[in-house]
Amino acid sequence: MTQTSTRPTRVAILDRIVDHTSDTRSIFLSLADNHKIRFVPGQFISIAIALADETRTRPYTIASPVGEAPFEICFNRVPGGRGAEWLFDRKVGDTVEFTGPYGTFTMDSAPAAETIFIVEGTAIAPVRPMIHRASAGAHHAMTLLYAATSPEHLLYRAEFESFAARDGTFHFEPMVTQPHDVYSRLLAEAERRWVAADSDRSRHFYLCGVGKGIIALRDLLRGAGYQRRSVHYEQW
Amino acid sequence: MAKLRVIFENGDPEQIIEFDPAKAPFHHDGRPGSILDILLGHKIHLEHACGGNCACTTCHIIVKQGGKTLSEATEQEEDMLDKAPGLTPTSRLGCQAVVEDPNAEITVVIPKYTINLASESEE
Repeated sequence: MTQTSTRPTRVAILDRIVDHTSDTRSIFLSLADNHKIRFVPGQFISIAIALADETRTRPYTIASPVGEAPFEICFNRVPGGRGAEWLFDRKVGDTVEFTGPYGTFTMDSAPAAETIFIVEGTAIAPVRPMIHRASAGAHHAMTLLYAATSPEHLLYRAEFESFAARDGTFHFEPMVTQPHDVYSRLLAEAERRWVAADSDRSRHFYLCGVGKGIIALRDLLRGAGYQRRSVHYEQW
Repeated sequence: MAKLRVIFENGDPEQIIEFDPAKAPFHHDGRPGSILDILLGHKIHLEHACGGNCACTTCHIIVKQGGKTLSEATEQEEDMLDKAPGLTPTSRLGCQAVVEDPNAEITVVIPKYTINLASESEE
């Protein structure tokens, strides 16, 4: 079985590489026909990773705002992560085959309520185009609580600081933590500010990150009375 | 041995797999012993755009028989299924539904359509 998808395969050319840190990279992809990819903020593409023994499909979220070409995906090295290693080996001019975009962790327009984004590390990727989309029109207050294990791993920091400087309703709150307590810090902050501080349960949440911590955040918020469909999440 | 009968809504020929759930994983995507894992391990294609990580609905299946021999759906799987087109009371995600009974007899239908929110055309 070599087939990885029944959907039409699309071809992109690696246009540019940007290293955020020694272990975190963005690549910029141009569709082979020079068109712009259409997607909903938060969606991912499914890249065919051609290994020596087989082809695997792995999802990579589009990190660039809707309408930009080339489009960007952002990823980091993961122990044993053959997909990321394969991507790190790609060079400018190489082609990448993919299907999609896919995914339901999306935000096509700003919710009609205060919105809180809680993310860590490269899981900023789906949220970045959401914030661009929401900021383009009228929106309620938005807060981005963004944790990373070093200041360098707070990706797109200058961009979010710039957003916050010119838009009084967007609040950017970076948080640098130790790797072992990313989620304990995020959980404590979420509980303090959006559970214990008041009884307002109209907020919308977008949560994204690696591992069970995202599920713990989901359970905290839903358990505190937020509507199930107001707590959106994607666990990587 | 467990038995898995696979019906394809697109008209592809039906498949029957006999397998020992204790030998999972059969492949490397989806939960070990899941319907996705079993199908891929037996060279039967099932879409899984997110790599079998419960982040999309492209591995949506409809369980016609043997649902009680599968692991219970988690809240995360139910949240995801809410967004699947053609949702039925016995819908599951192939990547999450694990065969737990060594003598299970399961029948699943692979729907013709799965979700893909963005148009696959471009501007």
